Amino acid sequence: MNRVLSNKKTILIFVLPAFVFFSLIIILPILYSGYLSTIEWNGYSEKIFVGLENFKNLFADFPKGFTLGVKNSFLLAILSVFVQIPLSLILALVISKGIKGEGFFRTVYFIPVIISTTVIGQLWLKIYQPKYGVLNYLLAQLGLENLQNSWLASAETALACTFFVIVWQYVGYHMLLLYSSIKSIPKSLLEAAKVDGATNTQIARHITIPLIAPMIKVCVTFALIGSLKTFDLIYVLTKGGPIHSTEVPTTIMYRVLLTENNYGLGSAMAIFIIIECLIFTILIQKGFKAESYTY
Amino acid sequence: MGGFNKKTSKIVTLLLCFVLMLGVVGCGQSKDDNNPSSPSTSNDATNNDTSNGTSEEEKVTLEVWHLWTTESDGNAVSFNKALDEYRADHPNVTVNIDATENEAYKTKIKTAISANEAPDVFFTWGAGFAQPFVDADKVAKITDYLPDDALANLNMASANNFTYDDGLYGLPFISWVGILYCNQEMFDDVGAKVPDTYDELMTAIEAFNAKGIVPITVGAKDAWNAMFFQNVATIRTAGTDLSTEALKKNESYDQQVFVDGAQMVLDMVEAGAFDPSALGFTYDEAKIALLNGECPMIYQGSWLASEIQNPELSLVSNKVVAKNFPGLTGGEYNKQFLGGAIDGLMVSNTSKNKEVAAEFVAYITERMAKESFLQGAGIPAWTIDSTGETVDPLVQQIVDLASESEGYVVAWDTFLSGADVSTHLDLVQELFAQTITAEEFAKKMQEVNE
Repeated sequence: MNRVLSNKKTILIFVLPAFVFFSLIIILPILYSGYLSTIEWNGYSEKIFVGLENFKNLFADFPKGFTLGVKNSFLLAILSVFVQIPLSLILALVISKGIKGEGFFRTVYFIPVIISTTVIGQLWLKIYQPKYGVLNYLLAQLGLENLQNSWLASAETALACTFFVIVWQYVGYHMLLLYSSIKSIPKSLLEAAKVDGATNTQIARHITIPLIAPMIKVCVTFALIGSLKTFDLIYVLTKGGPIHSTEVPTTIMYRVLLTENNYGLGSAMAIFIIIECLIFTILIQKGFKAESYTY
Repeated sequence: MGGFNKKTSKIVTLLLCFVLMLGVVGCGQSKDDNNPSSPSTSNDATNNDTSNGTSEEEKVTLEVWHLWTTESDGNAVSFNKALDEYRADHPNVTVNIDATENEAYKTKIKTAISANEAPDVFFTWGAGFAQPFVDADKVAKITDYLPDDALANLNMASANNFTYDDGLYGLPFISWVGILYCNQEMFDDVGAKVPDTYDELMTAIEAFNAKGIVPITVGAKDAWNAMFFQNVATIRTAGTDLSTEALKKNESYDQQVFVDGAQMVLDMVEAGAFDPSALGFTYDEAKIALLNGECPMIYQGSWLASEIQNPELSLVSNKVVAKNFPGLTGGEYNKQFLGGAIDGLMVSNTSKNKEVAAEFVAYITERMAKESFLQGAGIPAWTIDSTGETVDPLVQQIVDLASESEGYVVAWDTFLSGADVSTHLDLVQELFAQTITAEEFAKKMQEVNE
């Protein structure tokens, strides 16, 4: 077997099919987008080469609101990393302790991940609905009518309401990843700690969390990248409105590409998002490198 | 026990697969004709068909794309009826229909045209939407392929949205007009008069607000709904001619009359004409508020009439009266309308049978003009003979209103193209959110023209 695998020709043959698919489906479109981002083209007209003009426009806040969109996506990234992941971690730590109904809670928290995003969007639309929505109804029942709001229709609340749903939806996903990672820690380690008289918090802080650091890294990467390229829930809930308050780069890209037919500028945004994601991935890899434990 | 479970789960999985397949097969779009009543044209041509002259003997296949996927839709019914007649009249022509839902259609047709894969005949909107197609020379000038008398019945004024550089590139079948639908019963309940003037409208808004009823329902999340109000208010202050000239970039928006139009919208928002959450509602949600008698007024296209009158969809059938948007006291543009003929069919420049395709377009649009009108979908763009046909009373009201029309301007989002559309829609939404003043609105609209 070793002889087969050390043969370069064999390696080439085994790798080739996947490599071809990968190139066709991922590398080529990215390269093509890169090419499109340097031209001005509406889909029908002559393609005019404009160099980096499209990128210059992006940084000069054209189309209007692009800078705000980028800021919004950063805000979401911060929320995901500093609210969503800690929340998932706490949940994972609690239910992995073998509490009663462990399986039940695990399933319940994971349900939002299974449900289609569009369905989740529709559900939350009904919750935020100003007239018959659950949220306003509950507030009325509690006698808090003055807190009632047209949640998704006013520029002040729409962003927070949308981000809340996005953060909420993936809590279960990260929880499951962390939970499975915690479960793979050998029982003997935890038992030894207990025998030595460590409290639950001490165990979590000094044993569990350091040991699942690689998984936390994966979660942070997913959460960060996912936030930077989030699209579906925002599109369903607000379409970037009202008056662009919930816009993120992807929703702007969608509009510029598909309703304004500006392929050059749209592709420039796509490239921008790719580069942004790459930079953050590299930063996370570097940031987490120092810690590596084994059991 | 375990064996049983395994078996059950296998059966369940199989069943699920079956259901999934049913879904995929059932929901897939019908490639073929969707009216089984018309037997696929028998190609053993009975050569006695002389009425259609010229090259009728050879067998021809036409690819036709449109967006009428809902079979109960007024235009879908009329298209299928016209298609049946066409197939009976032209046994040598095989027509293949491909229908795609509205939003997806927009992307699909743009992509196909840019890739030179457009079908022989396709549905399109005129004015700004088709402008890039014509600019890129992808559409055939239809008059080059039609006999001179083919368009005798067409109202050339309705065809202005399909005229580019003085050439006619497509044919419309109906026009729509913007109508203020008013629920008479609700007006009677609060003792208000159905408004003919802007002042009466403001009085009615006050009367409804006093009873805690939202006066006008609008789905401003779909920005074009909000845009209708600004467009029609501007017709009242600036008139259709000046509006059209500004849209063509020949006139400036930065004039008092355009400021006044925007100010009318702001005044209505200020007076509580709309739900404070209007920016969070879609067109469908807003429409339902009228159909179930929750809100007394909606300003929408004439296409809504058939839904209002359909007792299966609406609780207010025969309770609604149609009005033009209220006029200004002493205003000279009070009989002008928002609307026009913007739906139409075009022939692709890549088609191999342009004569047949052009004849098909003329044949279908002329018949659809009548049928769509009878379905209540709009005002015919061709001169039709509707004697002896029963017309719905609400549709008749709209026709009567439109027959007195002194001018039209089509919705601005169809006239403008590309990024200008987004800019315009954004600005209108900002009016609704009261984040800009009327002067700023006019100034920023003018930036589009510069």
